[in-house]
Order: sequence, then C-alpha cells, then structure tokens
Amino acid sequence: MISTSTIIQSILSGLLEGGNYALFSLGLAFVFGIMQIINMAHGEFLVLGGYVAYWMLVGWGVNPLLALPLAALIAGAASFLSYRFFIERIRTTVELNTLILTFGIGIFLSNLYLQLWSADIRNISVHWMENPIQLGGIYISLGEMVTFLISFTGVIGLHLFLRRTKIGKAIRVTAIDRQSAALSGINVERVDLLAFSMGGILAGLGGPLLGMLSFVSPGTGIAITVKAFILTVLAGVGSIPGLIVAGMILGVGEALTVTFVSSSFRELFGFALFLVILLVRPSGLFGKRG
Amino acid sequence: MREKTVALITFGFVLLLPLVLSFNPYYLSIFITALILGAVALAWNLLAGVCGQVSFGHAAFFGIGAYASSLLVLKAGWNPFAAMILAACLGVLGALIIGIPAFRLRGPYFALSILGFAEVLKLLTLNWTGLTEGSQGLFNIPSLPALRIGSLTLDFYVSRATNYYLAALLMLAVYLAIYFLRYSRQGLAMSAVHGDEETAAGIGVPVFRTKMLALIVSAFCTSLMGAFYAHYVHFLNPDSAFDGSWSVMPIVASLFGGMSTLIGPSIGALLITGLDEFIFKKFFETGHKLFFGILLAVVIVWAPKGLFGKTIKK
Repeated sequence: MISTSTIIQSILSGLLEGGNYALFSLGLAFVFGIMQIINMAHGEFLVLGGYVAYWMLVGWGVNPLLALPLAALIAGAASFLSYRFFIERIRTTVELNTLILTFGIGIFLSNLYLQLWSADIRNISVHWMENPIQLGGIYISLGEMVTFLISFTGVIGLHLFLRRTKIGKAIRVTAIDRQSAALSGINVERVDLLAFSMGGILAGLGGPLLGMLSFVSPGTGIAITVKAFILTVLAGVGSIPGLIVAGMILGVGEALTVTFVSSSFRELFGFALFLVILLVRPSGLFGKRG
Repeated sequence: MREKTVALITFGFVLLLPLVLSFNPYYLSIFITALILGAVALAWNLLAGVCGQVSFGHAAFFGIGAYASSLLVLKAGWNPFAAMILAACLGVLGALIIGIPAFRLRGPYFALSILGFAEVLKLLTLNWTGLTEGSQGLFNIPSLPALRIGSLTLDFYVSRATNYYLAALLMLAVYLAIYFLRYSRQGLAMSAVHGDEETAAGIGVPVFRTKMLALIVSAFCTSLMGAFYAHYVHFLNPDSAFDGSWSVMPIVASLFGGMSTLIGPSIGALLITGLDEFIFKKFFETGHKLFFGILLAVVIVWAPKGLFGKTIKK
C-alpha cells in the first residue's frame, strides 16, 4: 500500500525536478521560438557545461555552483562558433537543412566527448547536496531545492530580459517581423547570432545542475534534446514561463509513474503525453492556437 | 549519367567485390554491414529525399525488425524467412503509431518525434525483461535456414559469401521497390509534397496519406533489414538493435551519396563504411564517428547535392 506521505513526497520531488526540466529545455525553446531553428546540438551544449563543472571540481575542487558562469560561457562559445561557421551560411535555405546541420554538429560533439573523456558517466557529487530539509513530515534534499531555485531564476530571468530590456525587445521584434525590424535599424544578422549564442549559454547553465542531480555522459545529450523538444511542444512554442508549468507536469507525471507503476516506465510517460498533445492540442498548453 | 546506368554500375560492383577481396571473411563481414546500411539508407531517402520528411530515428524500425524476427523464431519457433516478413509488418505498425500523430504537423515535428520513439523503444526493450531478456540480450538467434536450389545448397550459417549475396539481393529489392514507387502516381505525389506542401494540397494531392505511404514503405524495408541483421549476427541487445548509428548512418550515407538521386544513398553507404573502417578508426578508436558529424556539416553547407547529385541525371 502506498501511503499519502509517499505520494506527497513524490509530487514535491516531481515539482522540483520539473523546474530543472524547464531550465534544461530553455535554450532549445528560446532558439526555436525566436529563430524557428530546432537546435539538435542543444543537449550536447548542455553536456559540455556539465563537463566543465565536473573537471573544475575534480581538477581544482571548484564548487560547481561557482563553475556555472564558466560552464555557460564555454557552451555559449561553442554555440557561437557553430553559428558563425556553419549555420549562418544556410540560414536562408530550407528548414530541414539547419535541422540536419545541427544534428551533425551534435554528432561531432558527442563523439568528441567520447574520444576525449570516454563513455564513463560523470556525477558532480558534492556532499552538502544530500543535507535534508524538513517540511512538515516531508523531506527534500538541499540539492533539489538549490537547483530548483537556480532553474526558476534562470527561466524568469530570460523572460524579464526579453520583456524589459532593449536588446530583449529587439530580439522579439526580429522574431515577429524580420523586415520591419531591419527597417527600424535593428541589425537582424547580429540578433540571430546573439540569440543562437544565448541558446548555448542557457544550455551551458543547465549542464552543471544536471551533473549534480544525476550525471553527464557523451550519450546524455541526445536524450536531453528530445526531452527539451517534448517540453517545448507541451508548453507551446514561444511560451517561456509556460516551460515551468510544462516541466512540472512532466516532473510530477514521471514521479507518480515511478511510485505507482515502475521506474522502467518513467520515460514512457513523457513520450505518451507528447503524442497525446500532438493529437489533441498541437499548439501546446500556452501557445497561440494556429 | 543516367540513374539507371549508375545503378547498374553499383550493383555490378557489389556483385564483383567479393572476387576482388578474394572472399576474405573479415572484409566480407564489413561489406555485409555496408549493404545492410545501404538498403536502410535507400529506405530512409525515400522518405527524406523523395518525400521531404527527415527522420532522426530509423533505428526504431531497425530495432523492431531485429527483435520481432528473433523473438518469433526463438520463442514461437517460426521459420526465420516467415519471421522476417512478419517483423517487417510490425515495423509498419510502428510507422502508424508515430506517423499518425506526427504527420499532422509540418516542420521538425516528425523528425524529432521519431527520435523520441526510438529512444522509448530502446528503453522498453531494456525493461521488458520477461520478453526481451533486457540488457542481457538475445543469444543464439538462429541463422536463416539453408536453401536448396536444384543441386545447389545455400548455407547461411557458416558461409559469409551467401550472406553477402543475400544482403546484396535485399538491397536490390529495396532499390527496385523504391524505383518503381518513385515513378508511379504515388511517387509523383511524394515529389510534389517535397516541393511545396501547400501547392501539393492545392492541386489535390492527399498530403497526409502520401507522407504515410512513404513512411510505411520506408519502415517496412528498414525493419526487414533489421531482421536480416539479427539472423546474420545471431546476437542482439537493446544497444545494438536500437543503436543510434542505425539512425545516423543512413542520413550520412544519403547526404554523401546525394539525396536527390535514388541510388546515391547506397553508394554513400559503401563509401562511408570503407572510410570508417580503413581511415577514421585509425585516427580515433572510440570517437571515430565524429568524422560523420563533420561530414554531415560540410556536405550540407558546401555541397548539398552530395557527391553524385550533380552527375546523376533522371
């Protein structure tokens, strides 16, 4: 018999996990929403950030939370270079080309990690993460709480950046109407480069958190890309805050699947939900109806 | 050169290759894999090159075919040839499950949905231990039974050469099926959908049904090759049957060989297998596939027609 507190416990972990899913998906959702490019290398950029934090911890004992800026910067640089040298050249051709191109970049990166750092899974383990926080009769770990707060801040931060700052507004205008944006003096090519690089930075932020909560490995990236796409569709393309709600639905659903069915079917929940959304409401939970 | 001429040269080359290699079993095994890949690439390109729908998850169909055929033989005692056909039909079932929701939308939805589908199937195979033995995998998958033609006996257990020529025959069958489909009414519809979906719909092409047909044929052929692979290697686990390579390599082969041609992908498959075995693996033993990432990026940016896209005329 499954007790009520077990259920509440798993719902709470699911909610916290969901916040992290939102951050893991943020880069992909942002680039797709703004540029209509699905970045198939998104997961690899994220994993790169995770490796940066892992090697900083192993090499110099750097706290993974302090490694966040460098992880974001390096993933952002990888993203910048990919755009500058490859994607930019075929930006105006058919959509499928950029899809295959970023897929190729992803294959290159994941096999590069495999060659450099082997197929071993890398967990960024820090002992304070295990410290429990007690809320009533429910326990959550400090790590779950801290990563959730970082993720939440990241998503809301991007949302505010897009709404309140001048650059953020320029990015949104370019996404809505490229020609008018160019006419009003916005350098749209610059905006594209910036937006794609930001996608990499956002992915890089997620990597250390993923490494702390579970692990990173060369094979992790593609699974993250799939999950990020599922969340983007679930939230509705273009809805950044919607990602948090969508992430939490996925997180809670997965946690309850583990509690009531079996941990084997965890990933199946998200995919089944995805297929149902495609059939019933392809514009997502918070997207505009097309 | 015309498509037919190039196809004739390709299959002539495949026919004579074992003689050049003096039936060396090691080289034969490499090119059996290349032929399996070649057939899958032809099938992938029917969907992508002809109908314009890129799939990042053909490993799903390959794995379905491999597991279904093995299980039918191991657990239900079927004849492997019959099991291969039913396995291919189960691949079609998989195509319906993923195609019906995903083809209702345009753009990248199908490409990514099928990638997710392949990942989920791998996990299911891993966890459904009662049926699939999970990560342990299936051992001792029987070979195809020996065929007697007159006084000639074709054995598939010991001989690499018979497996090689059967793989070549399967690749030829896939090629012919795709060739005739391409120049049928349905093939023209696929081509129209590739060109512009809205215009195609405007002139009365049933867009959804046309995409489904391309996917179904593609899935059938891919699952059939998966089934052949299982009976050829005798061993499967979720990682080998649903290996991401079965999704990636057909894409690389098709782009390299030329997506606008019908025969190009199979030439691409032979070439990249050769490159991989004899060059890439010499540089990087574990990460040799990074070259395929570079190859994809370089071809799509600087030579989107592939190696033969310009030489092969319809």
